[in-house]
Amino acid sequence: MINWRVISKTSGMLLIVEVLLLLASMGSALFYHEDVMPFVWAILACAAVGGAGIYYGRHESRMVGRKDSYIIVSAIWILFSVLGMIPYLVAQTFHDVAGAFFETMSGFTSTGATALPNIDDQPHSILFWRSLTQWIGGIGIIFFTVAFLPAVGQSEVKIFAAESTGPIHNKIQPRISVTARWIASIYIMLTISCAGLLYLLGMSLFDAINFSLTTTATGGFAPHSAMLHELYDSPAIEYVITFFMFASGTNFTLLYWAIFKGQFSKIFQDHEFRCYLAICFGAIIVATTIMYLHPHTPFNLELSFREAAFTVVSLQTTTGYASCDYMLWPSMVHPVLLIVMLAGSCSGSTSGGMKCIRLSIINRILRNEFIHILHPRAILPLKINGTIIPQSVRQTLLAFLSLFGVFCVTGTLALSFCGLNLEEAMSIAISTLSNVGPALGRFGPTQCWDIISPTGKYVCSFLMLIGRLEIFPVVIIFTRSFWMKN
Amino acid sequence: MNIVIAGAGAVGTHLAKLLSKERLNVVLIDSDETKLSKAGAELDIMTYNSSPNSIKALKYTNVDKADLFIAVTPFESVNITCCMLAHQLGAKKTVARIDNYEYMSAANYGVFVNNTVGISSLIYPEMLAGKEIADSCQYTWVRQWWEFNNGELVLLSVKMHQGADIIGKKLKDVATSSGRKFHVVAIKRDGETISPHGDEMIKDNDLVFFMVLRDDIDFIKVLTGKDNDSYPNVRDVMIIGGSKLAVRASWAFPKTVNIKIIEPDEERCNRISELVREGTMVMCGDSHDITLLEDEGFDHIDALIALTENDDENILACVSARRRGIRRTIAQVENMDYLEMAEDLDVGTIINKKTIAASHIYRMLMKADVDSVKMLNVADAEVAEFTVKAKSKVTGKQIKDIGLPKGVNLGGMMRNGESMLINGLTELQEGDRIVAFCVENTLKKLEKYFR
Repeated sequence: MINWRVISKTSGMLLIVEVLLLLASMGSALFYHEDVMPFVWAILACAAVGGAGIYYGRHESRMVGRKDSYIIVSAIWILFSVLGMIPYLVAQTFHDVAGAFFETMSGFTSTGATALPNIDDQPHSILFWRSLTQWIGGIGIIFFTVAFLPAVGQSEVKIFAAESTGPIHNKIQPRISVTARWIASIYIMLTISCAGLLYLLGMSLFDAINFSLTTTATGGFAPHSAMLHELYDSPAIEYVITFFMFASGTNFTLLYWAIFKGQFSKIFQDHEFRCYLAICFGAIIVATTIMYLHPHTPFNLELSFREAAFTVVSLQTTTGYASCDYMLWPSMVHPVLLIVMLAGSCSGSTSGGMKCIRLSIINRILRNEFIHILHPRAILPLKINGTIIPQSVRQTLLAFLSLFGVFCVTGTLALSFCGLNLEEAMSIAISTLSNVGPALGRFGPTQCWDIISPTGKYVCSFLMLIGRLEIFPVVIIFTRSFWMKN
Repeated sequence: MNIVIAGAGAVGTHLAKLLSKERLNVVLIDSDETKLSKAGAELDIMTYNSSPNSIKALKYTNVDKADLFIAVTPFESVNITCCMLAHQLGAKKTVARIDNYEYMSAANYGVFVNNTVGISSLIYPEMLAGKEIADSCQYTWVRQWWEFNNGELVLLSVKMHQGADIIGKKLKDVATSSGRKFHVVAIKRDGETISPHGDEMIKDNDLVFFMVLRDDIDFIKVLTGKDNDSYPNVRDVMIIGGSKLAVRASWAFPKTVNIKIIEPDEERCNRISELVREGTMVMCGDSHDITLLEDEGFDHIDALIALTENDDENILACVSARRRGIRRTIAQVENMDYLEMAEDLDVGTIINKKTIAASHIYRMLMKADVDSVKMLNVADAEVAEFTVKAKSKVTGKQIKDIGLPKGVNLGGMMRNGESMLINGLTELQEGDRIVAFCVENTLKKLEKYFR
């Protein structure tokens, strides 16, 4: 049975993280001599809700159950977003609540779509808060908590599993908190080195920090409205960001083996990484060729390659940055971009989308199926990286793909009812479900999503949430059997 | 020489039989009384009924005076444990049969085989047998195949059929006319192995053992009339029965060979499909189902390998495959009494894990620096490698002057890394490594010449 007390206690404890993040943003407000009140109110609200939660469950000593863990995961992401929009509301960044909620959800899910029309006019602290939500969301709220705060309870494993991405999970250390700490330290290393390089290449400190927070989170919030190309006309910066987006799209477990154990060959032997690399390079080559050879384009070869690489990596890792407006490119590039958006990058990274491991498995299943037609009696094991993929994982994969399809379609439908045309509705559904950010049409990389109706924004927020949590943990709550006593 | 064998299973009893014939002191330990009493009644050995892991039992059987302790129970961990115990109690050498290919890999071999753990050698019969299967498939016209000196010197046996050039000629005539490119070390005729001399004539249906340099193998192919399209290179192989041996064989073949394994039990199919080398196809079906076999290209395979648990089935499968025109057939025959019969039935190559394992262990017994003894399971013969020492009887003499015992035939040798054949005028030098072919238990006699 669902144990509300333990849920409220655990959620309350998780809110401590948000208080810490808000404190950091308040620090930036003090640093830039800006209004601290938005953060004060938010901190008070967080502390009150968290305190109440902990108080309500103070005598509860039972473990988190399976059902509880799904509720906790969904609840905490929604709760974080609801409380996280308070600074925007107090600072009156948005003219409606829907916009603020959308922006926060887009932050925590590291989607990167923004409803903010005038980014450059905002105070530094608000922008920093925006980037910080993405940075935490990229690696996962619970992941971060498990890594850096004292034990939430002995039931970390269950809620941890509900949040982590990809069909197969493997630990690198026997204890989950140690595993999380290693992975998180890789994440922090990436962030710091990215910020350092960007600063050295001539970005302002504030921009460097914000860009690196959202690059390694594969989020895509930028502290300026303008394109990167217009902001800093520097190929080096674009290449650096491309590299870090690509690295953050790699499975962090592989990065762990490479960085801490020196086993670089392990990266290239990994089936998922090879698939990621193949899709990425394939798309870059196609996009470069089209842009370079298409008549009426102003691109030379280097520029075509740089822009294609940046955009493809940005969309495949579901970051969603744009160095230039790809809506102005030849329209035959757009389907390629939609495909890489859907594909996503590696499981166990900060990116969203379907993940290459699933495509890898599908590829093997198809290959086996064709062999099976010719040799009906053959027994064909499904091996990824030398280990057998059990039947149950294949079924879950099928269920995941079906649900992904169902939500793409219903999302498109719902957004069409909100007054968008088909291309926009479909691309937004895919983009939000994969946590990419920019879409096509009026919702390309240069545009702001303010024009969607409030209902549309809530639809988008929901799609982003289920996309980030890989559908099942959220959708399971809406099933009848979840609420049955036995 | 004192030898203690733990495990009175197939390998253990076979080994006890071989060793007791050599007049060595053999003690056989097993926890199963019925197995022991059978072996004890037939063989001149001592038996002791106890778990081989018991220290009391090991002490009682005087393991401290044992020159060799051999653990061949069906359980890998028991074998490893009792070898460690035997080593601690004072056994000079220990051999453990294992069941895990991981331990045999070059990187991990030292985990068990070292002075601390105390195991002198690991054997994995399936792996040895798998290697032998793959080796024998490389040359379809050859019945059996052994390599020496990294494969430069080859001992092979070929079945004679009518039409071969060599039939009806005296060996010395053939040798002279061909420029002494080979050396016939033995002939198996009508169930008897003979050590031939120059006047011997080769007849139809003989199984002839040639010692030859690798470069001259094609010459033998021509000489024995096998140089036609009936003996192509092996590309497609079908294995019947998904035993452990089938899995090992799949790894032993070169990667260019396509392998299909047919196994009736679905659960077993799932299991082995995870274990076989990538690219091997595992089929779930009955090997008696001709439609299935034909769908899977039965008529186009180059070799059929029958490795089921059932000897009769293996023999039948190979006989019927040969009827359908498959040149290369290999049958696993574990029942020793069947070996002779299988030979008569024209089954092709016969694989027997027991003799392979036993010959491997037998190597450890040879004092005179032998490091490869292989027993041929179709002939009552042994092949051994000897090193010529400075002060042995044979050093510095020509072969014809040594006066070798009857039944011994020295085929080839390696001198300073170079392989060459031996004839009567060859003078043996210190450091030469000789490949000897010994018929009828003459190996022990020959040993004395090299000591």
